[in-house]
Amino acid sequence: MIAHRRPALRPAFFLAQAFCIIWASTAQAKTTTIDDSGTQALEPSVSMRWKTAAPSRSGADTLMVGTTTIRVRINVTPWLRRSGRIYLDLPAQQPGPITASWISQGRFLSGQVHSGNRTLVYAGPIASPFMEDILKFQFSVDGTLIRRAFPVTFHFEMDES
Amino acid sequence: MIGAVLIGVVSTAASAYTATLTPTSPLMVYLQVGVGSFTNNYLTGGQPGNNTAINTVSATVASAAVGNGTAQPMTTDSTATQSYWDGYTYCSVPGQLYIGGFYRTTGAATAAAQVTATVPAALTDAAGDTIPFSKIRWTSSGNGDSGAEPFPAGGFVNGGVQNVGSMSSNTWNESCWTFSYLNNSVPPAGTFTGVVRYTLSAP
Repeated sequence: MIAHRRPALRPAFFLAQAFCIIWASTAQAKTTTIDDSGTQALEPSVSMRWKTAAPSRSGADTLMVGTTTIRVRINVTPWLRRSGRIYLDLPAQQPGPITASWISQGRFLSGQVHSGNRTLVYAGPIASPFMEDILKFQFSVDGTLIRRAFPVTFHFEMDES
Repeated sequence: MIGAVLIGVVSTAASAYTATLTPTSPLMVYLQVGVGSFTNNYLTGGQPGNNTAINTVSATVASAAVGNGTAQPMTTDSTATQSYWDGYTYCSVPGQLYIGGFYRTTGAATAAAQVTATVPAALTDAAGDTIPFSKIRWTSSGNGDSGAEPFPAGGFVNGGVQNVGSMSSNTWNESCWTFSYLNNSVPPAGTFTGVVRYTLSAP
């Protein structure tokens, strides 16, 4: 009797697995750009300087870096009393590859992002309409790609869970 | 209806933040002939500085050898032996004079920067006697070096501005010069001097 029962359980097991796979594939998080219109830079522009004053013999050392402090204030009212994951997204843009790293004061996570990618800065419940932090950014870009001042755009986005 | 309007406002306010990145002091030049100044080696974050020292290269020819056609090695009072790039002992003193530098610029590679020497017509002594500057030549090398020298061997012109080397953008360039006096003429006895000024011109 026992030998007959075991085969009867297998279809149900596979069926359950199939349901799980289907459920997982339809549970994509919705991503929304967050209103960051309250964000302010504490300096008008980012002064980019050579990372090392002198170049290398091969000429490979052409990195320029610049730091700035930005008071981030994002409006998370639409997600109030829910949970979410907030990312800093640095889109791919001219003049080429850019890296941004930042140190937070604790509200957000410190991190680093390369252009064309995003990095998690917060995960958890949204308990207030606005989230604020002061981030000290360092931008890095290849000096051979730039000639003059240029804009770098980034934004915050929410993945709703 | 009110709820829908509020949601609409939040949605349209969504934005991206833009920071303006501005190259500051993107052009930098450094030329060192003889002793120079760096806060530390390049590999440890050194910063270049100004050094107003003027080094001397000299030779004393024994009276019995004057004008015999045997080139006389010249020595320098420069103490610069190590490259400020990595601290490597690149030149040997007193027989060699260090020459090196770089120029930094943003954007794609540009034409090479040129190093020129402004040379008087002749070395002179107190009595007004002269030795043409073309009597001085140099070879170029460096300890453990291989390949072409950025500041190649040559000889001075008799007055004028001459090119003595070049630097590609954003690269470190250095050589060690060994000077010699040709000693193929017989000038009056005396101490003959002259000053050569080296200039780096970047595009």
